[in-house]
Amino acid sequence: MSERPTADELAEAIEEFLAGEILPTLDDHRLRFRTLVALNALGIVRRELAKLPPEDDAEQRGLAARIRAGDVPAGTHARVKADVEKRLRIASPNYLERSEGE
Amino acid sequence: MIADMREALEAVLGPISEPVLVAGGASKEAWAVDAGGEPLLVRRAGGGVIHRHTLSLRHEFEVLRVAHEAGVKAPRPVAYIEDLEGREAFVMERLEGETIGRRIVRMTVPERLPVEMAEELAKIHALPPHELPFLAEASIDRLVEELDEVGEPHPAIELGLWWLREHRPPPRDPVVVHGDFRIGNLVVGETGLVGVLDWEFAHLDDPARDLSFALVRAWRFGVPEKRLGGIGDVEPYLGRYNELTGFDVRPEELDHWELAGNVAWAVGCLTQAQRHLTGQDRSVELAILGRLGAEVEYEICHLLERQGVA
Repeated sequence: MSERPTADELAEAIEEFLAGEILPTLDDHRLRFRTLVALNALGIVRRELAKLPPEDDAEQRGLAARIRAGDVPAGTHARVKADVEKRLRIASPNYLERSEGE
Repeated sequence: MIADMREALEAVLGPISEPVLVAGGASKEAWAVDAGGEPLLVRRAGGGVIHRHTLSLRHEFEVLRVAHEAGVKAPRPVAYIEDLEGREAFVMERLEGETIGRRIVRMTVPERLPVEMAEELAKIHALPPHELPFLAEASIDRLVEELDEVGEPHPAIELGLWWLREHRPPPRDPVVVHGDFRIGNLVVGETGLVGVLDWEFAHLDDPARDLSFALVRAWRFGVPEKRLGGIGDVEPYLGRYNELTGFDVRPEELDHWELAGNVAWAVGCLTQAQRHLTGQDRSVELAILGRLGAEVEYEICHLLERQGVA
């Protein structure tokens, strides 16, 4: 399963936001210090993430290509939905919980 | 910079108040100014790359002019300025009311709002295409191209596109459409619908598609039980629209195009994230859309289920 932005790309976006948009607006010394600490912590997260093996999206690619070719046997919807649920559990678990309750 | 812009605007509008930036993005800026006691809004191009299917500000101004003349509740266009401090811009009336979707769905909106939305769409779909010769015809195939440019596998989007291809309703003659007609692009006041904004996606298309965009779940702003934009029911909206246009759009067509609207927004989430990932417009807000698109894909699965896809 490969997702864009990847976890590292998301961490990078937060890093840029904190360093580029938040830090310059902070006058309070304590807040400035803590934001710098947070940026350091994010750096650790990113280096940790860099050690992980890249995720394999072969299965999704195969499924997407087959549907594009019009090869949609019974059971396709269930596979597609399971794939989306798996990603939603990471990206937006509250949304999934609310939707399942409907 | 603001002083220079003020001077450039005063050359066109006469004395104005200090311009205040009310919205700034990579593609468009909006500045509020008052001239002769009249509240105005200056819409100016941003520094970033504009989506390739959006109208230029010159053409958007033309659409606004034609729509306003035809009696559509669009802001009155005041002036087009080819070069406002290096970028194109236009000036229009600044309408009073709420435009933020999340707030509108929490307001006590008049019961007539769905009917009023239908009335505006009926007028828009009757605009004379020959007065807007630059409007292009759009097709759903454009989404496939955009998805391929992103290059990520998204089986749910593929399944949605497959179903749309297999179950296409008989095509209707294309009309002038707004292209983004939904809560969030409308000005709503206590008295009802005040205006229709954001005409940059205007094009020629199946009217039923334009009619269905407001039904897309993401544009219900957290009030999913109200299928029309989180503010009301579809029946009075569709009924009034059909009464005025005679198009006799069937509920099944709305189902079809609602699904198409979700597929379009799922692809839109990916292309927005691409703006960040390619460095065109770095923003954490755009980046996260790449992941939140999974919510839209879940809705595609839900709508397909209702169509009996297994």
